[in-house]
This record gives sequence, C-alpha cells and structure tokens, in this order.
Amino acid sequence: MYRTNETWGTRATWGAFAILCAGLATASPLAAKTLVYCSEGSPENFTPALNTTGTSFDAARPLFDQLIEFKRGSTELMPGLAESYEVSADGLAITFKLRKNVKFHSGVNGFTPTRDFNAQDVIWSFERQGKPDHPYAKVSGGKYDYYADMKMATLVKNLEAVDDYTVKMTLGEPSAPMLANLAMDFATIQSAEYAAFLSKAGKPEQFDQIPVGTGPFSFVAYQKDAVIRYKKNADYWGEKALVDDLVYAITPDPTARYSKLKAGECHHAIALRPADIKEVGNDPALKLSNQSGLNIAYWAFNTQKKPFDDKRVRQAFNMAIDKAAIIRDIYQGSGQAAKNLIPPTLWGYNDAVPDYPFDPEKAKALLKEAGVTTPLEIDLWYMPVQRPYNPNAKGIAEMMQADLDKIGIKAKLVTYEWGEYRKRAQQGEHTTAQLGWTGDNGDPDNFFFLRGCAAARAGGQNLTKWCNKEYDELLAQAQKLTKQEERAEIYKKMQVIEKEEAPDFKIAHSIVYESMRKEEDGYKQSPLGGHHFKGVDIK
Amino acid sequence: MLPYLLKRLALTVPTFFALMFLTFVAIRLVPGDPVEVRTGERGISAERLAEFRHDLGLDQPVWKQFIDYVWRLLHGDFGTSVVTNDKVLHEFLTLFPATVELSLCAMLLAVAIGVPAGAFAAVKRGSWYDQTLMALSVAGFSMPIFWWGLLLIMQVAVKWGLLPVGGRIDPIKYYFEAKTGFMLIDSLMSGQAGAFKDAVRHLILPTIVLGTVPLAIIARMTRSSMLEVLSEDYVRTARAKGLAASRVYGLHALRNALIPVITVIGLSTGGLMAGAVLTETIFSWPGIGKWLIESIGRRDYPALQGGVLLVSAIVIFVNVAVDLLYGVINPRIRHGQ
Repeated sequence: MYRTNETWGTRATWGAFAILCAGLATASPLAAKTLVYCSEGSPENFTPALNTTGTSFDAARPLFDQLIEFKRGSTELMPGLAESYEVSADGLAITFKLRKNVKFHSGVNGFTPTRDFNAQDVIWSFERQGKPDHPYAKVSGGKYDYYADMKMATLVKNLEAVDDYTVKMTLGEPSAPMLANLAMDFATIQSAEYAAFLSKAGKPEQFDQIPVGTGPFSFVAYQKDAVIRYKKNADYWGEKALVDDLVYAITPDPTARYSKLKAGECHHAIALRPADIKEVGNDPALKLSNQSGLNIAYWAFNTQKKPFDDKRVRQAFNMAIDKAAIIRDIYQGSGQAAKNLIPPTLWGYNDAVPDYPFDPEKAKALLKEAGVTTPLEIDLWYMPVQRPYNPNAKGIAEMMQADLDKIGIKAKLVTYEWGEYRKRAQQGEHTTAQLGWTGDNGDPDNFFFLRGCAAARAGGQNLTKWCNKEYDELLAQAQKLTKQEERAEIYKKMQVIEKEEAPDFKIAHSIVYESMRKEEDGYKQSPLGGHHFKGVDIK
Repeated sequence: MLPYLLKRLALTVPTFFALMFLTFVAIRLVPGDPVEVRTGERGISAERLAEFRHDLGLDQPVWKQFIDYVWRLLHGDFGTSVVTNDKVLHEFLTLFPATVELSLCAMLLAVAIGVPAGAFAAVKRGSWYDQTLMALSVAGFSMPIFWWGLLLIMQVAVKWGLLPVGGRIDPIKYYFEAKTGFMLIDSLMSGQAGAFKDAVRHLILPTIVLGTVPLAIIARMTRSSMLEVLSEDYVRTARAKGLAASRVYGLHALRNALIPVITVIGLSTGGLMAGAVLTETIFSWPGIGKWLIESIGRRDYPALQGGVLLVSAIVIFVNVAVDLLYGVINPRIRHGQ
C-alpha cells in the first residue's frame, strides 16, 4: 500500500528527513559576546597598503589605526594615533603630535613588543610604500597602488621624526585633501619592531599574513577562505571593543549570507540580493541600515568627438533620458537620482543646481539648433559587470537606447571585457560610455578631479575628455585652501559650471544596505563603504 | 600488472603536457590580465602598468612565458599567486583536504545508496519500486545543484533549524588548529566535546547536494548492468542449483555487475570536482572549487594553471586506480596478462 498524493508524499519525505536530522540537531544559542560578520570574500593579506579591495581593508580594520581617522559612521576627520596635528600657515608642512602609551598587540606570532608605538613606526609605514630601498619595499609583491594613486610620492617631499612623539610631513605643494588621505586604509601604521623581529627570524613575508597592529582587536587566526578570528585588545588606547571575540565567516554567496543571518549563524551581513533585503525588512529578528553610497554612476559624452563637442548636444542628451524610470526599474529602491558629481551627503554639495528636466521635445529642438541631423548614429558603451554604483549597466543602456530612439538617435550598444572596457574608454575610444566612481576618502576633490584637465589626457579617468579652464582653475584653487567652508564655496561654483556644460549625464548614487540581527547594537554604517565593529555590542 | 601500470602512467605524461598548454593558452585568451583586474575605475599609468607586467613576467613573449612555466614546473615550482603572494602548491594543499572530505562523503553516499538501490531495482524489474527509483534517478541526474542546495538550506537549515547553513564547523563554539585539514579528523583530535558531531552536522547538506548526481548515475548504471548480468547463463545455473537468492544476486550477479559501475565512479571524480565548485560556493565550503573560480575572476594565472593541473592529475590518477580495481573485482581481468 502506498499513497499517491504528491503533497502528502512530499511532506512525508521532508518529515522523515527532519526526524533523521533531529538526532544530530543541537540547540545552538549564540555564545555571549562573539560577534560574527558574514563577510563576502577572503582578504589578499592584512596590510592595507598592499591592497585595493574593500574586502581586504575590512579584514585589516579591526587590527590597525591611522594617524587620522574617520569618525564612525561619517566622513568627518578626527585624531587617531596622532592626538593632534597642525598645518603650517603656508600649507606646506603638517606636524603630528603622536599619542603616548599606545601598545602594539602582544603575543601574536611569538612577538612581544618591547616599546610603545612611536614616530619610528610612522616613518617605517610610509617609507615602505615610498622608498624602493626600504627593507620591506618588495615584500609580498611590493605594490602600493593607493600610495601611488593618491600621488603621495610627489606630494610628500619629506617625512621626519622631530622626536619620538612628533612627526613632521613636508609637502611639495599645499594639499587640502592630504589629511583625508591620511585617514585612508593605505596610511595604516604598522610596527617597525615587528618587522625587524621577522626579518631577524628570516620570515619577513609573515608580516603581511600574521598582522600586529594597535587596533581594538588583535589577530588570532586566519583559515583561508573560511574564517578570520580576532580577539578584543584589552590594552587598546581608545574606546575598547564591546565584544570579546570577532569572527569573520567568509561567505561569498549572497543567498548563503542571507540564510546564515536568518538562521542566526552570523550577526551582520552585507551585499544581499535586493529580494532578500526586502525579506530582512519584514523579519522581526532582523534589521536593516542604509546609507547613500559615496559614489556616482554616470554616462560620459566624449567631448572631443562630434557632435559632443557642442554643449547644446550634450544638454539635449541630458533632456532625452527618463532618469526617474531608470531609478525605478533598474535600481529598484537601491539608488537615488544624481544631479551632481558628488552625493548629497558630502560637504560642498550644491543642492541649488537644478537637474535637466526630462523633455524629449526640447531635446529635439536643441539638437536642431546645434545643426544635428537625425537619424544620428552613436555608440553607447556599457560595463559588462555589476558595480557598486550600477547594478545593471546593460539594462540602463537599453532604456537609454529606447529614449534616444524617440528623438531620432540610433544608439549602438557596445561592451568589452571589464579591463579592456576601462582601458579603451580611458583612451577615449568611445563616443558615449557609462562608468562611475566610488569615493576613497570623503573629500570632494576625490570626485571633482574626475572632470579635471589632468584626468582628461588619453588614459586618464576623465571619460568625457572635457577640459574647462575655469573649472580646472577652481579645482586647483580648492586643493590649496585649508578651510573647509572656503573650499565648499568653490566646489559649489564648479557644480554650476559643470551642470551648464553637461559633459555627462549623471545617473545615480547607490543606496547601500546592510543587514543585521536585532541583538547587534551600536553599529554605524560608514558612508565610505567600510565595515567597522569597534563600538558594536551584542545585547 | 606492473608493466600495465607503467604503461598507463606513461600515457598520462602527454595528457599533462596537453593540459598544461591548454590551461596556459586558455587563460591568456581571456581579455584582461591580473594588473588590469586589480586597478578598477582608478586606472593605472602606463609606467606603472609596464612595471607591474615586468614583475609578473607578462612583458615576455607568450612562448617564453610558457617555457619558463614548464621549466619551473619540472623543478616542482607551481609558482606564486599574484593576488596573495602565497605559493600555489601551499594554497592548494591548504584547501584541498576540504574538497576531498566533501567529495569522499558525497561518493560514499552515492555508492552506499546507489548500488543497493540500483541492484534491488534490477531484481524487482518492472515493479513500482523500480519505476519510482528510475524516475527519481532522472530527477536526481537533472537536478541543478545550485537550486537543490538553496532549497535544502532554506527548508532544513533556515526553516527548521536542524542543520547549519554553511561552513565546516560552528566558529563561535569551536576553535582549534587545522592539523590535517580534514575537519572530521581535526575535530576528533581537538578533544573538544561536541566538535566532531558539529563537523558531521555541517557535512550533511553539502554531501547530499554533491552526492545527488553521482547517486543517480550509479543507481541507473548498477540497475542496467545488473539486468544484463541477471540474464546470463551462469546466474540461471546458480538459481537452478538451488542457491539462496541473496547468494545469487549478491555474490554472483552484483560482483560482476559492478565493473561498469566502478568505471562510472572513476569518471564521476571529474564531475565531483565540477560539482564542488557550486556546492562549495553555496555552503561557504573553503575548498579548491571556490578558489579556482576566484582565480579566474582575478586572472591569477599561476593559481589557475597550478590548480587546474593538480585537479587534473587527481582525476587522471583516480581513473588509473579504477582500472586497476577491475582486477580485484573480477579475477578474470588481470592487466598485462
């Protein structure tokens, strides 16, 4: 005898399986004061200066400090390992007074520090990146991308230890964004004594794999692709960690991260699928936080190619695209329409700048006025990959294509492999191309340089190849000022110029969601995209 | 036996060279290189790009890169990952036990259920049991691993909370050094109460998911092979002699029916490696499948080349071992005789 009722059969199968598993099931309450973060990948190593990925920076964050730090949950700067700093009147020197009684982690990899953190560590950390003859310069591949990208080698003329607790940085030219640069991950301060200890032991490569820092947590173990373990640093100089242990459970699949969060196997998860984010919102055991991403998705017009050398054409293209539809259909709640290069959360944002209205008729008229005869064929490049600021560049391109068709523009969709795409677009091979940017340090200069003349050279990041003298002069002027209010005023003017000139069509700033269990308390989402568990507790 | 073994091993040499060459060429045919993948939107200056490429040897002609690679390989050097700067062989050996543990469990499940189920279906040919089993095996064989894994996670781990969602052990409750890399052994050696049981619990769902396809194949193969054997004269003779059914089926029929099944098991090793890529991703299982996929994304040439070669070596050797097993199963087959 057997039943043929399928529902009954399915239930019975699941039921039998449940009974089978129940024998092995154990009650698994989360142990007190262990915070588990379901991270999305494995770090390359634990030295931020060598890395470029957020995943690697996140893995190093609990362990280290910088001279200057971003206040938790903001882009505001605050003293870190430097308890104070002073910029000279001419802006050419910054003097850092270092914090005393700061201990490096003890007992990691057999290392016991014999002295506190001091100026030697600061000099050592920067010289490793800037001096090719530094004993650690070539260790672990020796590629210091951020140090190069932030132009540290040309900006910093000299770095000297005035005494054990004073460091003077001499600059080649005044640079207002320098302080924000120093709060970035690449400017992490590491232990010169630990480096010497490992050199003596003949194991310098362990420096970047078994890290020793001054941070709120110390390193316990890393099991590749599985788990990173940290424990509370009881000697931490600042606000001490509120949990005893911190575990990064490496979970690359977004659905698996959601499932683990829901099952209580982790407290915090990032980068979930949009459908799962909605579920998190509906689940009483979970909660969400969101923040405008420090990024911009744009569609650049190559102003060195006809007809985009005419600003009326660029303005017409701005009016031809239904931005609201893109935000609604492609971003689906995880993006906000952009009208300026910087997101509204960043200081210097000019909210008074009006965006171009969606007005195909006016767009047609402007094209006619510019002497453009339709139908006109253009190419429209879209990235082959998802980016933090753009979930579906192809989808956006298709919507743009349909909108452009209505004003007589025939857009041909083009894409290349991701590395090839960037290379060709930076060379200016495109007529129009989508791309975007994620801010590094919360300084508006880190966005506005994208439309500067220096970046407009072939191979530069300015995909519009637009070079406006007035804009560029203001950009340089703002870099030399130290007062934030004065700089903000200049940036506001630049946004007006750029909007009028319309070298691109600004699509969106993303909205970044992070999901956590209700028992996690005190987490502050960073607008810079990093994840920090200092000050986070389990209730 | 020995000459046969040597001949088989000698035949693997050209296979390795072909594999080495194909992997080397294939990854270079994919646009983009490790330096471009690393730079992102920020781009890279021409000088730094040239410097990076030089350091990685990418500025050399491809033929020279290949010769250098083979030369180093012949000296036992699989190279260094361009992402982590760790030795490829070290990375592989760190992650490989996790894949072996999972694959062995999956194969064990597939054989333990597939062989008796298939044999029983053959004996009861045409019965409801036979038909159900064959229908299930078609379903199992066509099961998309990703979907099946997520379904089990959602139902068993999330909804019922009976088993963990992913990983190899509960990181909150248990922490011990990996001595062998095999979690079942390490957890036993750790002496921590409950660790072994927890490791088993973590293995159940990925084992089921990875074992489903080979289970279906083995069950079908056992059935058809068994049916063939059952129609042989010697089986009829054994029956006519009045031997007990269990003896006829178990000793005489099944033993001979297993030969093609063993071939399938050998061939399934490759399938298991492919399945491991997805299973490891869904269950956050730190094995080589996941590592290889990441290496492709990062254009980590040395890791990918070394990884593919090592995995291929294992698949090839498992198949050689399977060939040798024939002789054990069926004394009439003695290689080299």
